[in-house]
Amino acid sequence: MTTADPIPGIAAPSARPSAGLLVLLAAMTPEHLEHVLANLTAAFPTEGLLVAMQGALPAGSYPSLRMIAAPATNPSWTLTAADFVNACQLAEKNGSSSILMLGPSSSSLDSAALRDLANAVLATPTDLAVPFYNLPPRTGLVNSAILYPLTRALFASRVRFPLAVHLGLSLRMAQSLAGAAHRFTSSNQAEMPLWPINEATVAGFTIDQLDVGPRFQSQHTGLDLNTILPLLTGTLFADIDAKAAFWQRFRPLPPAQNALPMPMLQAPPTDAAAEIAPMIYAFRLAYTNLQEVWSLVLPPSSLLALKRLSATDGAAFQMSDSLWARIVYDFLLAYRLRTINRGHLLGALIPLYLAWVASHINITAFGADPESHIEAVAAAFEADKAYLVSRWRWPDRFNP
Amino acid sequence: MQNVLATMLQSDTNQASQSLYTGNNSIWRHMSDALHESIYRVLSLLISILPGILAFLVALAILTLIGMVLSALLRRGLTAARFDDRLARSRGNAEWAPSTSPTALIARASFWACVLIGLIIGVSAFDASYATAAALPSSLLPYLARIVGAAFLLIAGNLSARFLARSVLIGAVNMQLQYARFLSLGIKWLVLVLTGAMVLDHLQIGGNVVELAFGILFGGIVLTLALAVGLGSRDLVSRSLESHAEHSGEHSAKPPAAPTAGPDESIRHF
Repeated sequence: MTTADPIPGIAAPSARPSAGLLVLLAAMTPEHLEHVLANLTAAFPTEGLLVAMQGALPAGSYPSLRMIAAPATNPSWTLTAADFVNACQLAEKNGSSSILMLGPSSSSLDSAALRDLANAVLATPTDLAVPFYNLPPRTGLVNSAILYPLTRALFASRVRFPLAVHLGLSLRMAQSLAGAAHRFTSSNQAEMPLWPINEATVAGFTIDQLDVGPRFQSQHTGLDLNTILPLLTGTLFADIDAKAAFWQRFRPLPPAQNALPMPMLQAPPTDAAAEIAPMIYAFRLAYTNLQEVWSLVLPPSSLLALKRLSATDGAAFQMSDSLWARIVYDFLLAYRLRTINRGHLLGALIPLYLAWVASHINITAFGADPESHIEAVAAAFEADKAYLVSRWRWPDRFNP
Repeated sequence: MQNVLATMLQSDTNQASQSLYTGNNSIWRHMSDALHESIYRVLSLLISILPGILAFLVALAILTLIGMVLSALLRRGLTAARFDDRLARSRGNAEWAPSTSPTALIARASFWACVLIGLIIGVSAFDASYATAAALPSSLLPYLARIVGAAFLLIAGNLSARFLARSVLIGAVNMQLQYARFLSLGIKWLVLVLTGAMVLDHLQIGGNVVELAFGILFGGIVLTLALAVGLGSRDLVSRSLESHAEHSGEHSAKPPAAPTAGPDESIRHF
């Protein structure tokens, strides 16, 4: 796996998109669609770029684009199994060798970012091009707390946004993802998200991470933490369970990319104490009510640490990175062993996640760099991987 | 005269004690007869259904043995044929837990299928011998079946109550309801009371009393829950209105709202 990154400031030579690039657009509002099509036209001005989109095709405005109809899918905040199946089928039908999948909020990507993503899979032997978003510090916290550290520790990948909604795919990568997606679509679960990084790593495909600038996510109905977090953790845990034979072997983490920028967007100045108060309240309420559920999942040492945390004042409320890593690993193990009903299990993780968020905000409010803290969390996951592997293999071993 | 009276009295006493003795003797004899008859009846009943019981036990034992042998053969055969690996390759699932591997599941299923078949055969043999045992009370076997059904109802109700209680507890905690535990307990007892009533009804115990008691209990729990939730919400709403009216920005007394991923907030989870 390579993680080469284009040198900032030097535009990569544009490949010939008409030689086989298919752009698949997710369902979006007409305003956003206009914006994305304008950016695509700017990125590939002279080529007959093939663009597949849902709904009515805009006629005449974009002569450089060849529009085709894509099968309709339900609007979603991320790329779903149905999107990957459609992408593969359309690419095979139209003889495309590469695919650029643009999910919701694609209008926030400028033409240079679109061109870079497309060039990565067209002009280089990259199979999967993933974006590196420049987000404000308090954005994408589920990714920072769970998705990124778990993917990095288990699949030895430094991809910062494993659940990116914009992807560049080679045809074989699309076929591999479509194969994985078929398991969901055949069981009437077409809305489930997939984990492209895990698939690419297991298949031995090449991954490239590209800086695409900021991402502005539009509000989507149903984007509720109590719904989305169990969905994301459930599908990720299931994917990890299915790929256990791969990640249990030790693999060195590739060196960090110096070329990738640190997130530069700054969060507006806010009162951290007021922001974390609801989360600490939620955690304390859960601590008094969910003891019996947590005690089925977590070892006594973690329960003791949570007890101490629940008694901590708001300003000093800080969850250690090792405790958070251990909690996530224990929930992953309980998911695998079906210690309790999986819906209950993932629901019981939400207050603990909120405690981590409160702790993260507290830590960064005192001057710590958010990205450094997230890297420290990921390092804690890596350091504790031996515990996960050990208990995965011998779940009944004594665990104080 | 005294001698005559004494003689008369003595003869009367002798007659009375003699008739009493005769009566006692008769009662004991009747009791003894009744006991002998009932013992004879029970023994003859047991003897008449003994073949059925033996047939039940033999059928169960033989089919259990067959199940064990079949399970062992299947386990060895499938392990030798690398069935798990083949299935994992075809389904894309790389690893199974040892206790839930397809081979283990198939072996276990075959064993329990044999045990189930043995049970069915045994029960039908017992049923045949029961039909020939005319002395057996006619309501015993159907009532046994009812007891088994009631036991299943009880187990299913208990499991449902625990599942629902935990679902409500976790959901209410994530919605940050202060009375989450109370709500969960209420749901649990609702289901348990419903289960208890169904079990008693199934056993035909209590009749209308059970229905009446169930109605009172069920209604009482629902009313209690409604009052608790309503009163709790009233408090919540009044505090929210107070804080809104004061515009003070004080956060101490107000239960905070659930975190969402709204666009205007500086914290975004996704």
